[in-house]
Amino acid sequence: MSLQNKLNRFKKQLTHVGTDPTSKKTIKPIKEKQEVNAPEWRALQARAIRFEDQHCILREKNLTKEYKIGQYTVNDLHDVIKRWNDRSQSHPLSAGGRQAGDLLFFDTETTGLGSGAGNTIFLLGVARVIEDDIQVRQYFLPEPGNEVALYHHFLTDVQDTSNLVTYNGKAFDWPQVKTRHTFVRDMVPKLPPFGHFDLLHGARRVWKKTYDSLRLSIVEKELLNIERTEDTPGYLAPMLYFEYLREKDPAILDGVFRHNEWDVLTLISLYTHLSNVLLDQSHGSLSTTERYEIAKWYEAINDFTEAKQRYVCLLDTSARIKAKKALANLYKRGKDIDKAVFYWESVIETEEDVESYIELSKIYEHKYKDFEKALYFARKGYEAWKSMKRILRKQEEKDQAQFNKRIIRIESKIG
Amino acid sequence: MRIRKSLQEILKIMNQNEMIAANIAHWKTIPERAGRSVAFPDQIHPKIRRALENRGISSLYTHQYSAFEAARSYDSFVAVTPTASGKTLCYNLPVLQQVTENENSRALYLFPTKALAQDQKSEINELIEEIGIDIKSYTYDGDTPSNIRQVIRKAGHVVMTNPDMLHSAILPHHTKWVSLFENLKYIVIDELHTYRGVFGSHFANVLRRLKRICAYYGSRPTFICTSATIANPKELAEKLTGDKMRLIDNNGAPVGKKHFVFYNPPIVNKPLNIRRSATLESKKLASLFLENEIQTIVFARSRVRVEILLTYLQEMIKRKVGNKSIRGYRGGYLPKQRREIEKGLRTGEIMGVVSTNALELGVDIGQLQVCVMNGYPGTIASTWQQGGRAGRRQDESVVVLVASSTPLDQYIIQNPEYFFNRNPETARINPDNLIILVDHLKCAAYELPFKNGDTFGGVEIDDIMYFLTEEGILHEQGNRWYWMNDSFPAHNISLRSASQENVVIIDQTDVANVKVIGEMDRFSSMTLLHEEAIYLHQGIQYQVEKLDYEEKKAYIREVDVDYYTDANLAVSLKVLEEDKQKSYLDSQVAFGDVTVNAMATIFKKIKFGTHENIGSGPITLPEEELHTSASWISFSENMIEGLSEQELEEGLVGLSNVLRHVAPLFVMCDVSDLHVVPQVKASHSQLPTVFFYDRYPGGIGLSEYVYDHISEIMKEAELVIDRCPCEKGCPSCVGNEVQYRDVKSLALKFMKEGRNDSNYVTSK
Repeated sequence: MSLQNKLNRFKKQLTHVGTDPTSKKTIKPIKEKQEVNAPEWRALQARAIRFEDQHCILREKNLTKEYKIGQYTVNDLHDVIKRWNDRSQSHPLSAGGRQAGDLLFFDTETTGLGSGAGNTIFLLGVARVIEDDIQVRQYFLPEPGNEVALYHHFLTDVQDTSNLVTYNGKAFDWPQVKTRHTFVRDMVPKLPPFGHFDLLHGARRVWKKTYDSLRLSIVEKELLNIERTEDTPGYLAPMLYFEYLREKDPAILDGVFRHNEWDVLTLISLYTHLSNVLLDQSHGSLSTTERYEIAKWYEAINDFTEAKQRYVCLLDTSARIKAKKALANLYKRGKDIDKAVFYWESVIETEEDVESYIELSKIYEHKYKDFEKALYFARKGYEAWKSMKRILRKQEEKDQAQFNKRIIRIESKIG
Repeated sequence: MRIRKSLQEILKIMNQNEMIAANIAHWKTIPERAGRSVAFPDQIHPKIRRALENRGISSLYTHQYSAFEAARSYDSFVAVTPTASGKTLCYNLPVLQQVTENENSRALYLFPTKALAQDQKSEINELIEEIGIDIKSYTYDGDTPSNIRQVIRKAGHVVMTNPDMLHSAILPHHTKWVSLFENLKYIVIDELHTYRGVFGSHFANVLRRLKRICAYYGSRPTFICTSATIANPKELAEKLTGDKMRLIDNNGAPVGKKHFVFYNPPIVNKPLNIRRSATLESKKLASLFLENEIQTIVFARSRVRVEILLTYLQEMIKRKVGNKSIRGYRGGYLPKQRREIEKGLRTGEIMGVVSTNALELGVDIGQLQVCVMNGYPGTIASTWQQGGRAGRRQDESVVVLVASSTPLDQYIIQNPEYFFNRNPETARINPDNLIILVDHLKCAAYELPFKNGDTFGGVEIDDIMYFLTEEGILHEQGNRWYWMNDSFPAHNISLRSASQENVVIIDQTDVANVKVIGEMDRFSSMTLLHEEAIYLHQGIQYQVEKLDYEEKKAYIREVDVDYYTDANLAVSLKVLEEDKQKSYLDSQVAFGDVTVNAMATIFKKIKFGTHENIGSGPITLPEEELHTSASWISFSENMIEGLSEQELEEGLVGLSNVLRHVAPLFVMCDVSDLHVVPQVKASHSQLPTVFFYDRYPGGIGLSEYVYDHISEIMKEAELVIDRCPCEKGCPSCVGNEVQYRDVKSLALKFMKEGRNDSNYVTSK
């Protein structure tokens, strides 16, 4: 059987990677050289830029300082950056020591998911602040063999920025840039050692309890008042790129460019919003859950002063019990036992809380040496524990043994 | 108190006890052989030398020395190393020496399984610690925690992994492994002989991809391969790696005394030549050793056999051997379970193990004294491998081969000289199988673009590149082909099995604790996991309650019954194209492409102990289709004149039954890789025909070999029938269920025609 026949015979097995069903009808494998500065590109506000014998496409757009992305303008970004700079404590999203122009809001479109060598980035989109304007630049790969031009221009242009702002860029976009850069590393500038704010991580900290999904499109709709019209969903981007490669009609990409542009602009707005939420003490529009999660975040990064302040502000809300327990634990860590006891005792005024009873029992036994009280709290704790519903039998046996041990020990101390 | 007998005492009993001795067809004692060694070469780093001396190694065996010399002059080589011959030093020594000379050097070790890699890591790390130089060696597999993966990629001197991991996790992510690929000096391929058939053909392509990436990063590594004894280690290594190989076969390791006993179960029904069940006899012989607390491994040929034997032996041991346990070991057990069994064998906590050929590989289970094979393992090479499990370290040891009543077993047991004198089999691969090749070309294109005129392992590929471009998988630009698809091609390609996906086996005995206990390839699941099948796992019986073929899940529940199940597979065959053909007087032999349709039809329930059929039921599963290559022999009208349809059918079935066992012997493949199917009226020619087809889509060269050697195969099959003591056919030659009075002579008639190469007429 000839090779051609065999290839056809086994077609189904050979192409099980999932071919684009539309591909076969429109196939034109050999393309005449494309006029690189075709009017079709100009219609997209894009043009070809050369590097040696290659070219890539640059689409550029400037937005003035009045331009509103959802509820925010560039001025709001300047404002939060100034406030970050006024603050001395560090935070993963702090722009302390930086200016608005240092930030590079960054998002990519790729030919597939995952981080393998064959997943090509065909669009690198950036937004940055230049004086008071926002500049959006999108570097597009018109043919897979033109990566030298793509990365040359991209890396040359972003040299005076120092910090990426992305949405899931730590896990996806930037590693993928590293992968593709490896192929052309001898011919293009080195990757700069960027700082990196991954806003997905921040959004998870603050809103994971509030929203089921933290996809960028949901976040911008729920939090930023951004409503996209006729957006091309990101998952279609690879198909549209493949179609463009076959058809060579830039109009196919219109929606992809706009989608990517929206994404990078949303990042400016989201960064401003997240910063506001983190820096703002007035909590005007924040829900109790958000405020509690923010306090927890400060605690997690060991900014205890900030965390305490924020927990205190929650004492007159529905999160008061959680806040009291968090405060008690913070004071215990800071060896301020009396304050810790104050908060735990305040918890048990209204709640039969096992953990608080145990903590109180421990402190009265070991620190205050007041065994009567220690025993009282241990017994209260045991009762509260017994009234709880439990699921894991193993844990139950362990817990029970511990209560018994504690009670017996304290009883023996009383004598 | 019971007094335990020694191995020697048991051997004496076997010789003297009539019940046993009468069934021993052949007893060969292979004498011990002293080792041959050479002083360490001068260039060995003094620290390495001291470390070896501290571990009691003061010289090298001759083959280790040759390996070191070859590796240090960067000549790729394959060393033939039987079990317990110190093969690890063949690669560890040159690799460690290299790293001490240039600490940037890297080596990649490939083991056929994850378990072997983990064994070897402990071994090399002990040596490295003794040497006291900072050499980092790691395993890289699915269990490697993500936080140390980055360290391994950047700084691992020795990276130990398996072909699957290389295929799906390392090569597609080569940009994260730059320091490995830029500095790769050695690629070690252990257990080379396991890379044959489909797996070998895949692996050859993975190595083509590996070499392509090494070339991209500017390295040209030397291959170090070790292999068990096969007929063509050098050819196999060259075909797999595409490099010229030196052959090192001057094994200098000492060998202990070994008794090789061929045991043929007694005939219980003379006219039908039916022998006592090999499984029951294996159980009896294994018990003899196990009762005396002599560590024994029992090999069985199928998963079901393993479980049946395990059930028998555990029953026996409950009464006699106290706490020490007997365990099963086969594919389908989860890794953790396997590690635990391996360890138990090493420490002696486990007295006996019943295994499929899964333990043939060099998994470290320490030293066993006795090996009992329930049935001939199918190839000479496998038999030596399995036998090597007994007495690895120079002691006296015993290997008992218990013949089953299949034609092949009976042939081997009655012709011991065939076994002891013949070369072991040839390992065959076909890296250019179109489906396998195209699969890996996709992966390769994902890894790096192809240029016009590029070759892949010497194969011209432009046509395939154009094909993939037309299918919208690649994109052509400026004489290069780029991957242009949103998938990750390696994920769809499994190196191990013909069908792409496995069925997971879910135990729902405990409703609150439903768990996955194993997996099985789709094709096997048709006959082993159909609804109502009794599935045995670690000696426990389960019944399959539901097989969700779409979702590839089998739901099972523990049961306690006194039978097991056995399913029938109906196969139909269509010739698509004839590529080669040769004619004899009354027969024609051809080779070409076929479509095979297979469907599981019914299953039987077979009672334990008596093996009687106690019921049956239908299987309703969709048909599986396979395009593959096949050879076939058809007989002319002259041959069948005067035969009734039934006589003809029985004759062909009888012939196929013998060929099914004899052909794999020549081709060196598993009986399940090469199928033999008779047809009274083949649909393409209307003539009585016997087909041989490759089980893998597109074929891997097995049936083509049959085409080339049909006369020899027929001659050998004729011998099997001729020498069988039965009168008119029995399960040991032409098979069961004989109606026609003399199937034997009819089958012989076909064979005589088939082997007749003197009256050759045409060939095209």
